[in-house]
Amino acid sequence: MSEFHLTEDQQDCLEELINIAMGQASDQLARYLDTFVYLKVPSIESVDAKELMQTLSQQENTMAVVSQGFFGYEGIRGEALLVYQEEDSGRIADLLGYEPDELSQDEQLIDISSILTTTFLNVFARQIDNQMSYNAPKLLPSAKDNLSEHLQQMPFSWDLALKVNINYQVTDYSFNCNMILLIPETAITNIKHVLDRILAEF
Amino acid sequence: MSDFNALISTKTIDILPISEQALKQINSQIANQLNTGVLVLDANFNVIIWNRFLQIHTDKVVKNTLGKSIFSVFPELPERWLTRKLSTVLQLNTPSFCSWEQRHHLFELPHTRPITTDSDFMAQNCTFLPVETDCHGKHICILIEDVTDVCHYQTQLKNTLIELEKISRIDGLTQIYNRRHWQESLEQEYSKSRRHDKKLSLIMLDLDYFKLLNDNYGHQCGDMVLIEVSTLISSLLRVEDIFGRYGGEEFAIILPETELSGAIDLAQRICNIIATTELIYNEQAINVTVSLGVAQLSTEESNYEELITQSDNALYQAKALGRNQVCSTA
Repeated sequence: MSEFHLTEDQQDCLEELINIAMGQASDQLARYLDTFVYLKVPSIESVDAKELMQTLSQQENTMAVVSQGFFGYEGIRGEALLVYQEEDSGRIADLLGYEPDELSQDEQLIDISSILTTTFLNVFARQIDNQMSYNAPKLLPSAKDNLSEHLQQMPFSWDLALKVNINYQVTDYSFNCNMILLIPETAITNIKHVLDRILAEF
Repeated sequence: MSDFNALISTKTIDILPISEQALKQINSQIANQLNTGVLVLDANFNVIIWNRFLQIHTDKVVKNTLGKSIFSVFPELPERWLTRKLSTVLQLNTPSFCSWEQRHHLFELPHTRPITTDSDFMAQNCTFLPVETDCHGKHICILIEDVTDVCHYQTQLKNTLIELEKISRIDGLTQIYNRRHWQESLEQEYSKSRRHDKKLSLIMLDLDYFKLLNDNYGHQCGDMVLIEVSTLISSLLRVEDIFGRYGGEEFAIILPETELSGAIDLAQRICNIIATTELIYNEQAINVTVSLGVAQLSTEESNYEELITQSDNALYQAKALGRNQVCSTA
């Protein structure tokens, strides 16, 4: 067990924070989309770097990955990856309230990713008394070959990644994707401090 | 969150070593010297603030801009799409982005690159930020970054990669496929025909007495012959046939979904057209002939190399029988 692993209490606390953030984010989203959004309780796993590389390179039908960096106070930073499977992306323009010919498939993916990432992380940041800034989201070119390359070329080395499975059901169709939060080593230490502080307050 | 903000700002003001007035002046001078367009809209999308960058890059007058709707100031903007985008920022209180890779530009601003790129307008990365004020409510700040250079170099890189891709497949002299690409194609066609139980034939051909031709007329003449012969053969092929230069004066044609009789037929036509076409070099008429070996994939071969050996054997037979003819494995 490395120093970057979370204790059971820390893990529970983090999962709780993510659950709440995800719930509030989907509530905001529902109001924005003006439709009923049903959010399944997200499954959260923390995975180590090697494991993640393996899982991602094994996923055959990964169609697109959108990456977006986030930066907060107290050294809380990282990169959010939104991973889509082939069947996930049919009706995103619809979901976002655009006409299909108004924006390309790439732009649809980038837009929905940015909305999911920023609404979720904004709420998450608020819960830990923080505030986030974001990089422009970027669609990784042809996900399949480049994902592991991208992960290796990260500007930081990371040991821990949080994999959050998001599943939205929007009235007559479902929307699925995986959000993976890559957290650099230094930021993990900072998150652990924050979690300990929250745990101490209870 | 508001508490936290208050904490930060009071802290900042407490420790600020200059007056608020000076801070304001510094902020506004920075904003006006930024090499980035800054545009602030109110919740009804009217322009409230624009910085110098935008003033000098558009020929618009202040009185026709401030207080006016962004869509009347910049009529080139895609109204429906942008309205939805701006609403997202206001409603979700989250930033939104628009990259040149998806939309080359939103605002029609001239770029400062003297060499014309593929667009007359500045390539842009735009960021839409939610900005809240105490007494005037929600605003949106639009940041417009000039990324014409990035766009220009990226486009060049992309074109170079496409060109390199092509070069790596093509034989420089004859402009038909080179050996490496041809062989990769054969490997693919071989497994395809094995998987789907489809026919596959191969023609290998060689120019007769090519060394003699080079010795008598020089290598430039030899090159001309290689080019002309490639052109003649190409004119007889179907789109799905794969024609490559196998070695010096040796060529090879992959014929997918073709049986032996069809392949022999084609080989014969190639043999005839080359023997009857007079090539001209330095005003001299030159006659060349080719020998061809044809083979069809049978159940025997266990790899594509064996198919090459089959047609090669047929080719040597054609040479041995006196050249300028077609032989096949059957």
